[in-house]
Amino acid sequence: MSSAQLFHEQTARQRLASLVDPGSFTEFLPPPERVMSPYLPQLDIPVSFDDGLVIGRAKIGGKTVYLAAQVGQFVGGSVGEVHGAKLTGILKAAARDGIPCVFIVESGGVRLHEGSSGEIAISEAMRAVFECRAKRVPTIAVIGSDIGAYGGMGILTTCCDFRIMTEHGRLGISGPIVIEKWMGKQAYDSSNRALVWKTSGGKTKFLLGDADMLAGDDAASVTAAIKKLLAKSSPLTLKGLKARQQELEKRLKTFGKTSDPDAIWNALGIKNVAEASLASATEFAALAKKK
Amino acid sequence: MKTLLEKFFGKSANGIAVKDKLMTGYAEVAGQEVCVFGTCDGTYIDNAAALRFAAHVLGCIENHSKAPIVMLVDSAGQEPNRTAEMLGLASYFGHLLSCLQLARQNGHKLITVATGKAIGGAFICYGMFGDRIDALESASVGLMPIEAMSAVTKIPAPTLEKLSRTMPSLEFGAKPFALLGGVEEVWSAKDDYAAKLAAAIASANTDDNRAALGKKRGGRKLSLDVRNRVLDESGK
Repeated sequence: MSSAQLFHEQTARQRLASLVDPGSFTEFLPPPERVMSPYLPQLDIPVSFDDGLVIGRAKIGGKTVYLAAQVGQFVGGSVGEVHGAKLTGILKAAARDGIPCVFIVESGGVRLHEGSSGEIAISEAMRAVFECRAKRVPTIAVIGSDIGAYGGMGILTTCCDFRIMTEHGRLGISGPIVIEKWMGKQAYDSSNRALVWKTSGGKTKFLLGDADMLAGDDAASVTAAIKKLLAKSSPLTLKGLKARQQELEKRLKTFGKTSDPDAIWNALGIKNVAEASLASATEFAALAKKK
Repeated sequence: MKTLLEKFFGKSANGIAVKDKLMTGYAEVAGQEVCVFGTCDGTYIDNAAALRFAAHVLGCIENHSKAPIVMLVDSAGQEPNRTAEMLGLASYFGHLLSCLQLARQNGHKLITVATGKAIGGAFICYGMFGDRIDALESASVGLMPIEAMSAVTKIPAPTLEKLSRTMPSLEFGAKPFALLGGVEEVWSAKDDYAAKLAAAIASANTDDNRAALGKKRGGRKLSLDVRNRVLDESGK
């Protein structure tokens, strides 16, 4: 698969194949093992032989990493009992072996059809993320598709050491349709793609500092970003968390009264919003630095 | 709320301030100082609430070395809101969880009691992160009630209702959640909450035993085995 293919259009397996050193990927619990949801058949919903999560080990730039990639096409990449157990397993393997863990996130959160099991599964995966962080084993979330990282998966990515987003990636808790239903179409029109994208998209999250890196919409750019972060970790310290507390307080105070994302772009150094909207990831990162 | 707090903490409940349905403060359990925070009356948790809780946890780490942290949960979740999302509500919740993790690493035990609504995101963003999680029998614990699940998934409620009899994951409440291992112990209205809380603090440890508990109780049969298969295959 050529790396010129757009990252947001790739499937989970194509993404993994194009991110890692050629031929280095070994999948755990691959489809022939048929590890799948016990709930979906009872609800007459088709199953997937990997339950929507591909996990394994590979090398990136010669360094061994554990990987997990969610399959957005399968029930929205949602986390059920098995999907979540695979995720927790790969994180615990990372903590055990001291090998960094990279997630390619594409999920609306808990799989509603499996009820509370998926909810507990995400909470267990969170504990496992922090088990890695306590051992200074890097955890990196990559968010690069329209399905994005929402619900519990959105929260989980904010627990990782680092987040890489492309401009197609979206990060949040409540998705656009849920917000529209709650607030009304006048207040938030979920079919207004520009608005949705500016509210939760990669460029805004990068400006705010919630995405650590903004990568281009191709595997080569995402790989380059992963390589930069693989050697680092972001351990929790009292000093660091107090600084983060101040930053989040300031953000709420400064922008809490507006619902206009352009105000954030302007305040964070983007003078020409229209131009910056069309800028590539590299150009945008340069514009954001100039502030 | 005052009455319920007194059941947990006796007179020392005076040390807990309740403002805008959010609680923060310090109290005593069996003569030991504990840090307390949480929600009441099913209120929503927003960016400001997460920050208030996080500040309280950071203050506890700094000035109350190793004091157990008791988290009380009665919240319907987060309100879907455009500004909250734009500001990164997920990051505010992630920050609160990070503060709780630092507390854990610094020797603070984390105890959760679900007292009312403990639904979806409201439970994930702090209560489910406890070392030991208990719930009152009357608490509404779970992802969502069956009617709501039916509305979103388009699966008829009677179908879900029927399946929930053999699949506690689809059922809503403290008891089915305990069968999944998500709650250690369900407290009945007749229980002595102060004694229960003291015992919970004494027994809490940092191992996440929920998958093992779910398997043992039969409500979540696959989690532990699937996780262990991943650990086996990756360890070869």
